[in-house]
Amino acid sequence: MADVEALEQRLSDGLTRLDRDWTVPAEIIASPEFHELERTRLWGRSWVFLAHESEIPCPGDYVVRYIGDSQFIVTRDETGTFRANFNSCRHRGMMLCRAEQGNTSHYRCPYHGWTYNNRGDLVGVPASKDAYGGKLRKQDWGLLPAPQLDHYRGLIFGCLDSETEPLCDFLGDMRFYLDLILDRSDAGMRVAGPPQRWVVDANWKLGADNFVGDSYHLLMTHRSLMDLGFFPRDSKFAMYGEQIATDRGHGLGLISAPPGTELPPYLGLPEEIVTQLRRRLLPEQAEMLRRLSIIHGNVFPNLTVGDFLLPKDLRSAPTSFAALRLWRPLAADRVEVWSWCLIERDAPEEFAQATYETYVRTFGSGGVIEHDDIENWRSQTRILGGDFAARQHLNYQMGKGVLDQDKNWPGPGEAYNLEYAEAASRKFYQHWMRLLAAPENPMRVGTSAAATGAEV
Amino acid sequence: MAFTREDSLLQAELQDFLFAEAEVLDEHRYLDWLNQFVSKEIRYRMPVQVTRDRRNAASASLPSMMHVDDDWDVLELRVLRFETEYAWAEDPPSRTRHLVSNVRPVGRVDTGEVRVHSNLLLYRSRGDKPAFDLLSAARHDTVRQDGDGWRLVERLVLLDQSVVLTHNLTVIL
Repeated sequence: MADVEALEQRLSDGLTRLDRDWTVPAEIIASPEFHELERTRLWGRSWVFLAHESEIPCPGDYVVRYIGDSQFIVTRDETGTFRANFNSCRHRGMMLCRAEQGNTSHYRCPYHGWTYNNRGDLVGVPASKDAYGGKLRKQDWGLLPAPQLDHYRGLIFGCLDSETEPLCDFLGDMRFYLDLILDRSDAGMRVAGPPQRWVVDANWKLGADNFVGDSYHLLMTHRSLMDLGFFPRDSKFAMYGEQIATDRGHGLGLISAPPGTELPPYLGLPEEIVTQLRRRLLPEQAEMLRRLSIIHGNVFPNLTVGDFLLPKDLRSAPTSFAALRLWRPLAADRVEVWSWCLIERDAPEEFAQATYETYVRTFGSGGVIEHDDIENWRSQTRILGGDFAARQHLNYQMGKGVLDQDKNWPGPGEAYNLEYAEAASRKFYQHWMRLLAAPENPMRVGTSAAATGAEV
Repeated sequence: MAFTREDSLLQAELQDFLFAEAEVLDEHRYLDWLNQFVSKEIRYRMPVQVTRDRRNAASASLPSMMHVDDDWDVLELRVLRFETEYAWAEDPPSRTRHLVSNVRPVGRVDTGEVRVHSNLLLYRSRGDKPAFDLLSAARHDTVRQDGDGWRLVERLVLLDQSVVLTHNLTVIL
């Protein structure tokens, strides 16, 4: 294990080369040393997605979720307030909830029976008088809450550093683009069901990198689906659109369609939703949605968001589905993938069903599109985990010297009027390297400028 | 079902069918699988398994999310994709072994279909990586006699895992 200062130096060199050459050190992808450093400097500092509010619609509903490798019970308490408490009894550390989800007003520890309400207060200790002579101050032994918990448009996030900037500042300009998916209707979105979860022998960053700013891969990775006519036969169809990189490593691509190609307006959303989105969103946001086929983005560090207008097979007309994807690292070369389908609560049943079918058949654990992506990420991980990879710097130079920022783009962030850009990926790795290189959390209130400063 | 001579013949016949299917899948003969073993009315589903305590599990029916929820058109898309030159996920192909056991007919449907349960252990390895995946599942199938043989009308794959321990589901269970 290299000492931390040596890793900081390598990250600092990496940042210099990213700035100068537009390259990324290959060793940061799958090295166990950087995975270790991520535990404190990334997962210990960043806001991390926990759950969608529709997963816990009623008081007492809970799901067990993770920040890094720590489990939290994410619940809606009896007053309707979201809570995230460490899933560990204060007495011997026993895991309290051993189900993935459920509904309960109290958690009783199976070991000695200490019992907590769903606010996290310790309310019951068996044989308390005999065992503690009435001296145990229950109010001092409630469950440990996540230091910060907040939500935006139904997405619930937690943060292990109580001094990291507030969620709204952390999301920053990305909120404008999240609203394109999450703020289209008065009733909002619901999850179609529990998340699909599966384990891939790949580093978590490769999925985030792929979704944040890589529309280029469609022409080769997904060539099989172009040959079959599932994707447009113009192999460069994903080039047409806008790529946006925002501060703090968030970013996205908005793919439209090759010139002259007709698309169903507003991602083919039902009329009820279109009427609402045109009322709710800013005119420039509604205009962006009007001529889109795919939104693909990533909220730093590991929450991928998207909306995809796709057919569910070779015979059907396209239907759009929204999705959330969480890349939870298990090791430098292992990631647990969580994938949710989101559906407009107000969508007619027929559309909701078509959305679900399109999602499950194309996306997620069993979907036909992602199989080849995953094969890439696991192959990259295997090869980049080798020592020789440290000598390699990966080419993130797309657009260098040929693509200027789009100054006419009506949205926030750094925009490029071509999806073949890699700008969002560069921002992702830049923010990641800055966070890992910094001994103190640069996202703390008052110091966030340090994390976002100079442009790549 | 009562165990009659007729039932044991049926059991042997269905077991033959499932064993032959396993061989075709392990030999990556997906077009043959589709054309010889699967009905056009196929519904192939693999629900997401969620860990719940017994009290909350009692009320839960099939979860509202699947890993796989295919009809004929999607299975055909999967198979045709394998036939292209660009399906990296299975090129080179995974080495798989479908170990099918505990085959038992559990009921007849009025329409002449038979419901058959089996257990499946699927071994999978890829390339020269010194690791392998194992998936264990119960399969609840409905099959129908169709001219030259049995055809799969419905398959429900009940995985014995909440977090699926293989990197993608290009494999057919």
